[in-house]
Amino acid sequence: MESNSETVFDLQNVSYSYENVAALHHVCLQIRRGERVALLGANGSGKSTLIRLMAALSFPTQGKISFFGTEITPSQLENPDFFYSFRRRVSIVFQNPEIQLFNPSVFDEVAFAPLQLGWPKSQIRDRVLEILSAMGIESLRDRPPHRLSGGEQKRVALASVLVLDPEVLLLDEPTAGLDPSSAAQMVALLSSWKGSSKTVIIATHDLDVLEEIADRCCVLDSGHFVADEKPLSLLHNIDLMRRTSLLRPHPHWHDKDYFVPHPHIHEREM
Amino acid sequence: MVLLSITGWVLARFVMHIPDGYLSPSTCAALYAAATPFWYAALKRTRRILNTRTVPLVGLFASFCFVIMLFNLPLPGGTTGHAVGVGIASIVLGPWVSILAISIALLIQALFFGDGGITTFGANCFNMAIAGSLVGYAVYRLFARRAEITSARRVLAAAIAGYSAINFAAFLAAVEFGMQPLLFHTSDGTPLYAPYPLNISIPAMMIGHLTFAGLAELAITAGVVRYLQRADPDLLRLTAPDAPDREETRARDSARPRPALRSLWTLLALALILTPLGILAVGSAWGEWSANDFSDAAVRNQIATASGNHVPPAHAPDGLKHLSLLWRPPVPDYAPAFIKNPYFGYFVSASIGVGVIILFTLLATRLFSAFLNSRVKTSIRPSRRRSHRYIERTAESLLRVLQKTLFAEETTRSPGLLQSCDARVKLAGIGALILSVVFVHRILILAAIFGIAILLAAFSRISLLLLARRIWIPVLAFTGVIAVPALFLVPGKILYQIPLVRWPVTLPGFESACFLMGRAETASSLGLLLVLTTPWNRLLRALRFFGVSPRVVMILEMTYRYIFLLLNTALEMMESRRARLVGDLEPSAERGLVAAMIGVLLDKTLQLSNDVHLAMQARGFRGNIRLLEDLRMRKIDWLQLSAMLTIAWTATWWGR
Repeated sequence: MESNSETVFDLQNVSYSYENVAALHHVCLQIRRGERVALLGANGSGKSTLIRLMAALSFPTQGKISFFGTEITPSQLENPDFFYSFRRRVSIVFQNPEIQLFNPSVFDEVAFAPLQLGWPKSQIRDRVLEILSAMGIESLRDRPPHRLSGGEQKRVALASVLVLDPEVLLLDEPTAGLDPSSAAQMVALLSSWKGSSKTVIIATHDLDVLEEIADRCCVLDSGHFVADEKPLSLLHNIDLMRRTSLLRPHPHWHDKDYFVPHPHIHEREM
Repeated sequence: MVLLSITGWVLARFVMHIPDGYLSPSTCAALYAAATPFWYAALKRTRRILNTRTVPLVGLFASFCFVIMLFNLPLPGGTTGHAVGVGIASIVLGPWVSILAISIALLIQALFFGDGGITTFGANCFNMAIAGSLVGYAVYRLFARRAEITSARRVLAAAIAGYSAINFAAFLAAVEFGMQPLLFHTSDGTPLYAPYPLNISIPAMMIGHLTFAGLAELAITAGVVRYLQRADPDLLRLTAPDAPDREETRARDSARPRPALRSLWTLLALALILTPLGILAVGSAWGEWSANDFSDAAVRNQIATASGNHVPPAHAPDGLKHLSLLWRPPVPDYAPAFIKNPYFGYFVSASIGVGVIILFTLLATRLFSAFLNSRVKTSIRPSRRRSHRYIERTAESLLRVLQKTLFAEETTRSPGLLQSCDARVKLAGIGALILSVVFVHRILILAAIFGIAILLAAFSRISLLLLARRIWIPVLAFTGVIAVPALFLVPGKILYQIPLVRWPVTLPGFESACFLMGRAETASSLGLLLVLTTPWNRLLRALRFFGVSPRVVMILEMTYRYIFLLLNTALEMMESRRARLVGDLEPSAERGLVAAMIGVLLDKTLQLSNDVHLAMQARGFRGNIRLLEDLRMRKIDWLQLSAMLTIAWTATWWGR
C-alpha cells in the first residue's frame, strides 16, 4: 500500500507470537501524524506487545510495520543512520519504571538518550536542566532513581524520553499504579499535547480519562483488533466494552442504605 | 588446639574475603597483576558473545550474585552457611561472564560494605571469581559430559563443581596467607601480615571449607541446577552444548523420579574421612611441630623445603618449647603403640584433630546463633521454630544491607569536611592512606594513621560510636580471634606468661597480632569514611579517573542500582515464605526451598536484564559506552588531593 508522508505507522496484517503463544493476530492499523491514540484492552490483550513492535524492540512474526513508508526490519535497524533517526523520533515509556530507569542518578537518566545519540555535551547539560525544570523535578537531579516514589519515577521516565522532543511517543500504562494526585498530573501533561504535532500512542485501561488523553481509541481483545472509534462513541458501546472486559457489571453501593448487585453502567463511567 | 580450631572456624566463616592488612603490598600487587589478564580476556570474550547485552546482563547478574551471597543455607548440625554463588554463575552463564559478575559483586562488597579489603581485592577476585569460576566450570563440564539437561548426573556434576570451586579458592587463600610470615617479617622475625605459616593456614582454612563452608556452595549449586531442570531447563543449555536435544529429553524424562541429594550428613562424613588425608598431603601437621623437630636434621630439612628454603633456627624457639608444654597430644607422636604403621597412626591422629575442630564448630555455631538470635528477637519477629531461622537470618542480612545503604545516603548529604571533597580526591586520598596502612612497618605510625582516620571522622561529623559499632568491634571480634593464637604460636622472646595455664605470650607474637589488628581496623575505618561521605554514584563515576573503562563503570553502576530491586524481591519472597511455612521441614527440603528461591530470583534477574536491554536500545544504545563526565578539577580539589597524598606518603616513608 502506498504510504503518504502523514502516516507515521502503517501496520499490515501484523501477527506476533512468543515462542508458541500467539499474542497478536493479523492487526491492521494506520496512525497519522498528530493523532492521539489510546490502545485499549484487558490485561494480556496484546497492548504492550503492539507498543513494543511499534518501538522496534521486537519484530512481527508475520506482516509488516512501516514507519513513514520505510519498513522496520532488524536489518534496517542495523543501519546506524536509520537506527539513530528512528530512536530520535520515536520514544517509548515502559510500564515498569524500574526497567526504564537504569542509570545511577536522575540527571544521568535524562542525559542517557542524548548521549547515545551523540549530542554535544554542553548542549546535553543545558537541555537536561531545561527538561528537569519543565517537569518540575530539578530538585531530584542527583537522586538515584530507585529511591524515588512511584509518581516521581514515572515523571523521570517521561522526562528521560521527552528530552529528545520526539515526534512519536509510545506510552505503556502511564497512569497505572499512581496515586490520584500523581495520576492527575500525568493526565494534565498528556492532555496538554492535544492539537500539537506530537503523535501519542497510549496503552491504557483507564476509561475515566480517555476523552482527555485520546482522540481515537483502538480496542484489542486477545490479540485481535476489534474496534477503532472516537472515545465518546466507544464509551457508549457498552456491549463492546463488556465483551472485551473493559467493563464489568459488579455489585456496588448507590446510597448508604441500599445495596443491590445490578449490572448497569454509570454516567461517570460513560 | 582449641585456639587453632577457633581460628579455623573464623577463617572458614568470614575470611573467604581477605581483609586489608592480611597480605603484603607485593602479594596484593602480584595478585592484581595475575587477575588483570583474566579480567581483560573475560571482558573481551563477554563482549563478543553478548554484544550490546553485555552491560545489562553482566550488571544484573552481578547484582544477583551479590544478593545470593547474603542467603543463608541450613547445614547439618544446626549450622548455616553462605555460598559465594560462583558455581551457579559459571554453570548458567559460563566462566567468562561469571568471572566478571563475581568480580563486580566482590568490588561492590569491598567498596561499600567492607567485606574484603581494597588492597586485597585482586587476591579475592583471583581466588573466588577467577579460579573459582574456571575450576567450577571445568569440573562441571568434566563430570556432566554429554548427559541430558535434566539428568541427575548434571546435579551431581554441579554439586562437585560448586564444592571443588570453593575449596580451590579457599586453598589459594590459605596459600596466600601462609606465604606471608615466610616472606614478610621484620629483622627479628615478627610477621608483618598474616602470622601463620602454610602448615597452620592450610589446615585451618581447609578444614572449615572441606566440611562446612564447602557444603553450602555444594548444596546451593546442586539445588539451583535441580530447580532449573524442572522450571527452566533452557537456562542450563548454554554450558551444555553437547547435551541431547530438548525433544528427545522430554520424551524420555516424562515421569522418572530424580534421586535427590538427600542428606548432607553423608557428604559431611565423607569430608570427615577425606580431610585428614588432605592434611596428610600437605606434609607436616598444622602447628603441631614438636620442639624436638627443630633439632632433628631430617625434619629441619622438611620444614626448610616446605618453607621455601627458609632455614629454620637450629634450636627450637623458646616460645615453641613452652608451647609444647601447653598441650599434650592425646596420642603422642601420632603413632599409638598398637598401630605400627606410621601413616595409619598419623591418619588416626589427624582424624581426631579434625573431629575436635568440627565439634568445636558445631558448638561455636550454636553459641553464636544463640547470641545472634537474642539480638534478632528485638528487631524481627522471634521464631519459635529453630528450623526456620535461616529464613530470618537471610531476611536480616538483606535488611541490614538496605539499612546500611540508606544510612550512608543520609550521611553523604550532611555537611562535613570529607563530604565537601570531590569524589575523585577522596578516592585517591583515602586509597593512598589505605595503601600506607598496608605498607608501614612500625606500629606507632600505624597508630598515627588511625588517629588521622578518627580526626577525619570527627571533621566529617561521623560519630565515633558509629565507627565503633560498624567497624571497631566487629573487626576486633573477628580479626582478634584470628590474631590471638599468634600471641602464643609465633616463636620468639617470651613477653609474659599467662598465670595458671602458663601459656607463653611472645614478643613477636604480640607485635604481629598488633599489626594484623591495627591494619585491619585502620583500613576498614578509612573505607567506611569513604562510603559514608561519598554518594555511591559519584564514587563509582570517580573510578573513571583511575583508568577503569567506562563499560566497567557503567556495569558497576547498573549492578549497584539493581541490587536494591533484587534485595526487595528477595525480601518479599522471604516474607511470603515466612507467612506460609507452618510445620517443620526436613533439612533437605529446606535447602530445596532456598535453592528454589534463588532459582526464581535468577529467572527474574535474566528477565529483567532482557527488559533493561530493550529499554537501553529504545533510547539509542548500540553498545557504545558514553558517559557524561566532568573532568575538571578545581584548585581546591588539587589542594586537598595533594594534602592527602602528602600525609599518606609521609606516613609510608616514616613507617618504613
